[in-house]
Amino acid sequence: MSGYGQEFTKGILKDNPVFRMVLGLCPLLAVTSTAINGIAMGLASTFVLVCSNTVVSSLRSIIPDKVRIPSFIIVIASFVTIVDLSMNAWAHQLHKTLGLFIPLIVVNCLILGRSEAFASRNPILRSVVDGVGMGIGFTLALFLLGTVREILGSGTFFGYPILGTAYNDILVMILPPGAFLAMGIMLGVFNSLDRS
Amino acid sequence: MTSTWRLITVLSGICAVAGFALAGVYEVTKEPIAYQKKLEVIRSLEAVLPGLKTDPDSFFLDMKREDESQVRVFRAPTQNGDAVAGAAFEVVAPDGYSGNIYIMMGVFPDGKLGGIEILSHAETPGLGSLIVNESWKGLFRGRSLEDTNFKVKKDGGDIDQLTGATISPRAVSGAVEKGLIWFRDNREAVLDAAAGGEKPVNTSGETS
Repeated sequence: MSGYGQEFTKGILKDNPVFRMVLGLCPLLAVTSTAINGIAMGLASTFVLVCSNTVVSSLRSIIPDKVRIPSFIIVIASFVTIVDLSMNAWAHQLHKTLGLFIPLIVVNCLILGRSEAFASRNPILRSVVDGVGMGIGFTLALFLLGTVREILGSGTFFGYPILGTAYNDILVMILPPGAFLAMGIMLGVFNSLDRS
Repeated sequence: MTSTWRLITVLSGICAVAGFALAGVYEVTKEPIAYQKKLEVIRSLEAVLPGLKTDPDSFFLDMKREDESQVRVFRAPTQNGDAVAGAAFEVVAPDGYSGNIYIMMGVFPDGKLGGIEILSHAETPGLGSLIVNESWKGLFRGRSLEDTNFKVKKDGGDIDQLTGATISPRAVSGAVEKGLIWFRDNREAVLDAAAGGEKPVNTSGETS
């Protein structure tokens, strides 16, 4: 029985959902135009991931195999709606910026993937740790991508100008193509680091 | 219990629990969400009718635009409450770069703009989205149909376009002009203090 520490860190490094497993790219590419958007999306996804892992894992002996996917989807969709409503109520500005992408967490294959591949076969505590680790890994990746794109694309970091007025914004970086460019370069860097 | 029945019970059970949980969350968040929405309206009214106190819940008028669509005209009373000091209403620019742009605009009785506020838009980030900047929205303050040609400079008008983005400013400017024309044509009705809504409660001078 391997330690929980390993279960936790694998999501951040060895099996990072974005850089190693290349999961959940739809929200990743869409919302990471600023660092704060990246973090908010990451945290919202982490919350859903941890909650759905917990529930799926605790129901794993009750849910028959044939209806497991619909059951997982219902569980995930419920938590996403909870996040959606809560953000609308208590983080209204952020909710406006992230808009459509909050409900779209439902179809983030990272979350369904962890329910199916991990939580439905492992005890509760282990699934929670897995969810937290994967969530943090996902959040870090979104934050990193958001930071790079915000600095290059608008010369700011968390909304504060850091590159001075002389800096000419590379506009494409905050547009959708910029997400692919930044993502591709970062994947390459991670792969080469991994090999060496 | 046959296996089919088991599938049905489990799935129904999960759905029922999820349904009840969501109903609970909805009840809890209903109030704060409504409050945030109202706060948003209040903030935009303050921005487009600077210096006036506009209560979104009283003294408004429900009117029709030229295309017969409904529009709610929020109105700010004068100090003694017997006249209208400013009116604010929503206009829609359907010709933005991507999707409709919703704009709140405030007009004073003399036909001068108090300001505009972009309520929602989906323009390109970093280009068209610059229409939300104070420096651009501020261009409209104090302008009226008489002294301004509401076209972007590229089209021979008075409104600055933005670098790399002409379509969004053109759309907003056009919508604002239409709004001003609508106001001019319906001025009598909008400024009729006796009409519509409830009577204004405490106006600015007495309470704050």
